[in-house]
Amino acid sequence: MVQGVNTITATTAALDGDAQLMLRVREGDEPSFGVLLEKYRNPVIRFVYRMVQDQAISEELGQEVFLRVYRSRATYEPTAKFTTWLFRIATHLALNWLRDGKSERGHQRLDDEGDGEMPVREVADRRPSVEQRMVYQTRLQEVRDAIALLPEKQRAAVLMHKYEEMEYAQIAQVLECSESAVKSLVFRAYETLRVRLAHMTRV
Amino acid sequence: MNCPLKRVETTDLLLEYSARRLDASRAAAVGHHAESCTECSAFLAAQTAVWDALDAWEPPPVSMDFNRRLWQRIDRTAELPWYRGLFSAMRAANWKPVFPMAAAVLVIAGGFLLDHRGGRTVAPNAATSGVSGVSIIEADQLDQTLDDIQLLRQLDSVAPGGSAKQM
Repeated sequence: MVQGVNTITATTAALDGDAQLMLRVREGDEPSFGVLLEKYRNPVIRFVYRMVQDQAISEELGQEVFLRVYRSRATYEPTAKFTTWLFRIATHLALNWLRDGKSERGHQRLDDEGDGEMPVREVADRRPSVEQRMVYQTRLQEVRDAIALLPEKQRAAVLMHKYEEMEYAQIAQVLECSESAVKSLVFRAYETLRVRLAHMTRV
Repeated sequence: MNCPLKRVETTDLLLEYSARRLDASRAAAVGHHAESCTECSAFLAAQTAVWDALDAWEPPPVSMDFNRRLWQRIDRTAELPWYRGLFSAMRAANWKPVFPMAAAVLVIAGGFLLDHRGGRTVAPNAATSGVSGVSIIEADQLDQTLDDIQLLRQLDSVAPGGSAKQM
């Protein structure tokens, strides 16, 4: 019995802080959910945005991710890292949205979005010229197109590897496949991107 | 160091090197190797270019009212009666195949019931039609009998005269 309690204590101690927060949410502590929301709102929405490439949809799916986290609080078990669970929900939602063919509608709105604006930090003290903005937007569009043309799983794997800086093992847990499969997905995705964006390297 | 590109197991070393995620000793080994290996240096140059291109892609900022909308949805969910909550959970669980399956089950059950009821209705109908059939036959027989009686009466009324003449 004592050994069992010790095991539970050791397991709880080994949990990451986010999982411990989620356990508090399970006990009814709403502020802990607020902490998790503040911490992971931007990463989740950024990831979903790069998957679906539509701002409104990414926020809608982002809401759904956190709604599911909240609804699942009563049955939450910290079997993996909290971020693994969170990104698994986000990935499933994004992949389902893409597979439902809803992206057709979304691509029409790409040009209306404000994310084509050149970041101010790119040009130090002065505003970018019209030419610089056009070059930037063209390059950005090429990057987005190159990502959008990747197969869905490769896209998810490469986005988690590049932007979320996840380890192969964690990506494997999110995508529910082996680590070697993830390495292969990521390698093939970068290989495709190197070919598609090769002309940009010569600029 | 063996060329990482020569073995599938070590190709990710170059990806991790260009992502600057290798520990110092391994990064130094890969860097040293790339200086003398044209294939690896070309790979790293292309990969670094892709990395930089991807770095330029900044998503738009999240809406200011994202949290407010989320909490509203959470509150609305909490206010829902249990059956609406169950329905929402089913929708959230993405049980899309359930709906066509439920429709199929309904159609099959409906068909079975109709068939079953049809069987029962056929029997009374058959009985009814049998009864009405019997009634029609009886009416015909009655008409025939009445005709026969009338004919016999006519014959009967003709016969005494005939027999009288003969007598």
